[in-house]
Amino acid sequence: MFDSSAHANPTRNRNRLQLALYLAFCVAIFAVPLFIDDDFLLNRYARYLVLGMVAMALSLSWGYAGILNLGQALSFGLGSYAMAMTLKLKTVPIHTGPDGLPDFMVWNNVETLPWFWVPYQSTAFAIFAGVAVPWALAAILGWFMFRGRITGVFVAIITLAILVVANLLVIDQQRYTGGFNGITDLAQLEILGLEFDAYSKSTYFLVASCLSVCLLGALAITRSKAGLIFQAIRDQEERVRFFGYDVAAYKIMAMSISAAIAGLAGMLYTVVMEFASPTFMDVPLSLSIVIWCAVGGRQSLLGATIGAIVVAGMQGALSESETFLDTWMLVMGLIFVLVVLFLPNGLAGLLDMAGRRLMRRPGALAGGPAPAKGLSGQKAKDQT
Amino acid sequence: MTEHLHIEGLGVEFNGFKAVNDLNLSVAQGELRCLIGPNGAGKTTTLDLICGKTRPMHGSIRYRGREIARLPEFQIARAGIGRKFQVPSVFRQLTVRENLEVAHCKHISVYTNILRSGRSAESDGLEKLAAFVDLSDYFEAPASVLSHGQTQWLEIALLLAQDSELILLDEPAAGMTHQETQKTADICNRLKGKHTIIVVEHDMGFVRQIAQVVSVMHQGTLLMEGTVEEISRDQRVREVYLGSTLGI
Repeated sequence: MFDSSAHANPTRNRNRLQLALYLAFCVAIFAVPLFIDDDFLLNRYARYLVLGMVAMALSLSWGYAGILNLGQALSFGLGSYAMAMTLKLKTVPIHTGPDGLPDFMVWNNVETLPWFWVPYQSTAFAIFAGVAVPWALAAILGWFMFRGRITGVFVAIITLAILVVANLLVIDQQRYTGGFNGITDLAQLEILGLEFDAYSKSTYFLVASCLSVCLLGALAITRSKAGLIFQAIRDQEERVRFFGYDVAAYKIMAMSISAAIAGLAGMLYTVVMEFASPTFMDVPLSLSIVIWCAVGGRQSLLGATIGAIVVAGMQGALSESETFLDTWMLVMGLIFVLVVLFLPNGLAGLLDMAGRRLMRRPGALAGGPAPAKGLSGQKAKDQT
Repeated sequence: MTEHLHIEGLGVEFNGFKAVNDLNLSVAQGELRCLIGPNGAGKTTTLDLICGKTRPMHGSIRYRGREIARLPEFQIARAGIGRKFQVPSVFRQLTVRENLEVAHCKHISVYTNILRSGRSAESDGLEKLAAFVDLSDYFEAPASVLSHGQTQWLEIALLLAQDSELILLDEPAAGMTHQETQKTADICNRLKGKHTIIVVEHDMGFVRQIAQVVSVMHQGTLLMEGTVEEISRDQRVREVYLGSTLGI
């Protein structure tokens, strides 16, 4: 199966090819505004990129370290609210006067700004908190779960339960969170004199830069020694412990990095959508993230990113087209079922199999035209 | 020879069942010790107790003179005790090289490891280890393609990569063909002297090929110790094994 002549370098070649693919993706997303001059479309694409980012974060914890965090939307939502809070406070002087409160607090008869809103008057603090709060929460939660050696489906249940609790809390505390309505009517984000209008190239580029940095950073993590150990933990947790590693510390690290990236994505989502809502931290979103990840390939960061972009894009396109107006949910479900049945490693797995097929038969490349992608995909499916 | 591992009065109970009961065992530096006994004698439990998978209720385990009986397993592993489990447990989705990389690690902190490359500069040494257990051709292949025997050898290589001074092997020859058993015995013999090894094994043919001193366990305690010949002559050992097909 593995001829000895090829065993010297395939890993290195694969790594180079992988890096090239990641860089090509980053260049491609930066190139999009060159071809599209429609601010409405750019806003929509920026939204998809943000969703790609949160799916990528889940791939890091689920696909690499084997931690199925069903509360990924909690990190996302916390980031989103952190950004919304600071942007809301910026509107206070215009809406309710210099000594006023955010408008929804006035409607709810709140008289002074609650203590936990005060630091959000600084945008820098909000940006810090949008990453640090989800990070710290995941680290604390991870400490309890992984020190207690809770694994597998129980991790999924606990994280899901905490998400539900947080969601109810946010909806219930309308006086401080805007309840069902969320926090709306926000100012524009301004960093160092740069304004980020949701419907402009600047916001798109902000999102694209954050996604690129996080994607490449996460790739570096997966290639580090710790990344290798994450994967070893995913395969055989007990064995890693007997090599002398503190498995809990590694799992806490994987989960908290993932949460921090999700928090950043949440902040960007508020900038792109121009509001924050409890639906940004609810169960349907969290499950969608898992589906994006599975469709794209949870063991590939780029796969998960593209999975989210493709599925969210299709959701958008299908739900707006006249033909699928009533049936788009069914179509999405069908696609998900097909992927799970035939492509256990998602779209990335399909590419992987096709690539391996080509590499294993160098003659096929030189001899005739490479097989059409659909054909090799079909063969790959047959193999599974 | 200096004493490497010293077990005294070791005991553990599971729901009142004394799996290991007042066990005394002493293994010298560089020795290859075989631990045999009928099913339920407490051999695997003894290994579990040494490597920290199970916490002992009584007694002490001294490794290089240091008490390790109640340390968490990762600290015991760091002290230099490596364990191969009965069920092969390698990282199937990682390549042989990556498996060895995980095992071979001087730095165990997650904070330093996140900054270090997954491909260490000491790849040479790892390739030699793969060659030692005859897996050179599979160095870059995922561990999932290895046969049962090769998986067992990879596990032994992992313990060597881990730089364990005391190696605990739980049934290294289980389920192997005759040739594979032969090769495993060969690997064990080559390790003699360099590492202290404790082997739990049922296959007496295999034990004959590698053993220096054999310890026989029965009902959680040590029955006798001696060479293979002494043991096969012993009346008590024969009684314990009566009815079993171990061919002593």
